[in-house]
Amino acid sequence: MTKRALAALLALLALGSCAKSDHKTHLYLQRFFGECGAEYGGTTDVAKAEGECGIITTLVNRFNADNPDIRIDVNVVAWPGYPQLTAQVAARDPPDLVTMHEGVISDYASKGLVEPVDDYLRTAGISPTDFTDAARQGVTMYGHVYGLPWDTHGGLFHVNTALFAKAGLMRGGKPVLPDTWDELFAQARQFEQRTGEPYLIQSNVGDPAFAARNLYTYMMAKGAVLFPDRKHIRLNTPVGVQVAKYFRRINAEKLGTQNMDTPAAIAAFVSGRGGIYPTGTWMIGSFETEAETPGRPLYKSYAVFPYPRLWGEHVEYVSGHSWVVPARERTPQQREAIARFFKFMAAHNFDWTRTGHLPAFKAVLGEPRFKALPHRADIAPLATIGRPLPSYVLRQNAIEGIVGEEAAAAFTGQKTVPQALESAERRVNILLAQID
Amino acid sequence: MAADFRRGRLTPLGWAALVIGAALMLAPLTWAVLLSLKDNAALVGHSEAALHGPYTLDNYVAIFGNSLTTRWLLNSTIVALGQTAGVLILASLAGYGFARLDFPFRRTLFVIVLIGLAVPSQAVILPQHELFAWLHLHNSYPGLILPGLIAPFGVFFMTTYMRGIPRELDEAAMLDGASRWTTFWKVILPLTVPAQSTLAVFTFLGAWNDYWWPLISATRSDMYTLTVGLAAAQMNYAQTSGLGYLMAQAVFASIPIFIVYIIFQKQIVRAMAGTAV
Amino acid sequence: MTSARDWRGLLFVAPFLLLYSVILIFPLLRGVWLSFNQVDLFGDGHFVGLGNYARLLNDPIFGTSLINTFEVTLMIVPALTIIALGLAMALNRGSRNAAIFRGIFFSSAVLSVTIVTLIWRFVLAPDAGLLGELWKAFGWQPLPFLSDENLVLPALAITTIWWSVGFPMLLFLAGLQQIPGDMYEAAALDNASRWTTFSRITLPSLRRTVVLVVMLQTAAQLQLFGQSQLLTAGGPSGASRTAVLFLFETAFGRWELGYASAAAELLFLIILAVTITQYWATGRATAAQGGR
Repeated sequence: MTKRALAALLALLALGSCAKSDHKTHLYLQRFFGECGAEYGGTTDVAKAEGECGIITTLVNRFNADNPDIRIDVNVVAWPGYPQLTAQVAARDPPDLVTMHEGVISDYASKGLVEPVDDYLRTAGISPTDFTDAARQGVTMYGHVYGLPWDTHGGLFHVNTALFAKAGLMRGGKPVLPDTWDELFAQARQFEQRTGEPYLIQSNVGDPAFAARNLYTYMMAKGAVLFPDRKHIRLNTPVGVQVAKYFRRINAEKLGTQNMDTPAAIAAFVSGRGGIYPTGTWMIGSFETEAETPGRPLYKSYAVFPYPRLWGEHVEYVSGHSWVVPARERTPQQREAIARFFKFMAAHNFDWTRTGHLPAFKAVLGEPRFKALPHRADIAPLATIGRPLPSYVLRQNAIEGIVGEEAAAAFTGQKTVPQALESAERRVNILLAQID
Repeated sequence: MAADFRRGRLTPLGWAALVIGAALMLAPLTWAVLLSLKDNAALVGHSEAALHGPYTLDNYVAIFGNSLTTRWLLNSTIVALGQTAGVLILASLAGYGFARLDFPFRRTLFVIVLIGLAVPSQAVILPQHELFAWLHLHNSYPGLILPGLIAPFGVFFMTTYMRGIPRELDEAAMLDGASRWTTFWKVILPLTVPAQSTLAVFTFLGAWNDYWWPLISATRSDMYTLTVGLAAAQMNYAQTSGLGYLMAQAVFASIPIFIVYIIFQKQIVRAMAGTAV
Repeated sequence: MTSARDWRGLLFVAPFLLLYSVILIFPLLRGVWLSFNQVDLFGDGHFVGLGNYARLLNDPIFGTSLINTFEVTLMIVPALTIIALGLAMALNRGSRNAAIFRGIFFSSAVLSVTIVTLIWRFVLAPDAGLLGELWKAFGWQPLPFLSDENLVLPALAITTIWWSVGFPMLLFLAGLQQIPGDMYEAAALDNASRWTTFSRITLPSLRRTVVLVVMLQTAAQLQLFGQSQLLTAGGPSGASRTAVLFLFETAFGRWELGYASAAAELLFLIILAVTITQYWATGRATAAQGGR
């Protein structure tokens, strides 16, 4: 009996690891963005695809069709996919190409776990000077380029123009956004009085990225150096305290929604229950669909802009998606295939911008077809004013988690502002001190 | 079950409490099923739309539109059945050993097994991953099945169950010249069928629902289990724009084990009754 | 004859013990070794002795996560035990209705934690949640279960009780079936009240089951993780961060393998100590009563 069980076990083992033999060069690509094979499995018509998942799926299909000697096998992982990638790297079996947030690259690059891609770019005929500033900063570190930047994404003010009109905050068909903090509060109160709805929709629950983005952006605008060196963060400064106090005031005066997580905030915005929802580029597609559907609260009532300049310089904290190449042994054919994939993806960067993300290539910003997409002229400045965190800072994800958690506590009043910022600083500095 | 007379009849108040309790149990499940039957777009910002029609099966159709869903279903079945079979074999053998045989360090070894109940699985998952990488077992069925075979509760359960079986039975068999193994195989094991089915259901349930181990061990999509595959298939912000689909996935993944439970329900209570717990 | 010490008995327990040693004990010991090192997920690291443990004791985030873990365990275990016992007593009968109710109360136990939290997110959230809609129907302000520091642990506890009531209920049902019917008949002849019957017959007979349920549930809830991670991400402001979520974040988010291992070992020791104390205390109580 045991023998039979053992035989069955071995047969299953063989089933799980059957080798491929079709004389193609295989690349193994791992990504998030979901799985939509049902709708786009066999399609190579990129122009007709919609949404992150549809566009990336058809792009890969198209690459496979255009390059008969290469076969890209796709592995879809649950967002953000880093526990799996970490496990794969530890098991020395990482994929060939992986989607990675630019803030995460430095963790892997500092350990030599991802390859510099300078050679691939050269073979593909791509120069880092083709990238937008935000994208280039995001993938460059230790004197090398560590990934093909694929987009820039960051915070935007998504605006319900119907409510703005009701509040008397439209000029020349465009919503009036504040220029100073005082204007922000004045307009918010006016909005609240005339519409009966909150001015800001906020997701302060279970969404540390929201609070961290707000704090980073308005500290950067005032010229604050968040990371003076790779071992320290500085938040508990007069500028940091002031930014946190402004957001605290928004909540104290009930000018923004309370107790919402991301799904609740999105739902509130599409239901017309607030004026501005500061969230990312990634929501543009969904909100546009709402704006085009008759009968919906957002129908013909949607506009979107970068975070407004409220003081100092007009800059904004941004991040981006990129394609990285985990370090492992590869054949020359595979290296060549990776270069061809880069070249293909760079040439199709426009298609990805239909998701709402901003392009990683300067040339796309100037293309008429990009400008012709709705709202893109309004949000294009983000590619110029966008600032990633310095690439020498490791563990940016974990840091964002800590900063966001503490900042949200300060914004909502669960902690006093100095308490929260002091705690955030201490926790991040301990974390950074542990890194060799 | 001749249990009715043991306690008085339930008072009307007792029944009312039961019905309310049952309603509390069922409300979230009903809510999930209703959400799964709605068009995704209708739910954006209006989950209360699930309380009324129109309803559709589109979300369930979409689950099968993904060509890998049946493969994930198969993987989950193989892993859950493999773990169940393995746990039953190992726990029965060990249970018999601990319950009936005297050998050096028996008590110590039993305590060491029980200590396993206090080990948080998150505490050993990384060293385990390292070990399985070294053995080249990731992305394979043995790699998915083996960690689930470490079931201290199963050993404890079978040990106490077997202790409850009258010793006269094995002693009679041994007097007839049966070996230890024959006594175990021919006399004791048949008496443990109810306990086996209980343990089977709980092992199957745990294996089917396991998330973290398959997430980091099965990293190639054709080796995903259903829980991992369905999570990977979600698009960003699925809780907003794909709520109906998400709920349909949840309901769909739960149906097989619910069926297993219904089939074994009678056996389970009977088996529990036999355990000296 | 059966009492003869015989190494052959080892053969029966060897297959399990062998796998157990390789897949659980070895990783556990490896974890102990890692806990004495400052080491990240990919680095070689260096030996720091008890440094990680000293750091843990001074880490307010870890302290809070331990307190949260104890609080949520205390909210869950007694309530869960009492509810499960009540259900078992009410449903310990042969009627078809009782079988249906048993099925209903067990139904949630078949769900995975990802599904449980997904469903409860849409029950608890003040906007779009079932409770929120209910509250609004009564004209009340929905309660922010997932964002109020004082409500979030009770919310996790309710979710967990809903999810895990089925298994203890079955254990109690099994225990009830073992109580000889004539004990109740004798009580009925004595005209004993329901409460007397319960406290003099049912409860003492179920002592072992109660101990088992409490111990298993305590060990399980001290390891509570998925509900906290998926429903609240440990928030607001760490108010629902449990110890296992802390060590998960430390290992996978911060790559601090040594530090996470130290947290894991401490938690393991705590669970062990609590479980042994429970066992010891109930054992003494039983002995004092001269019980079974």
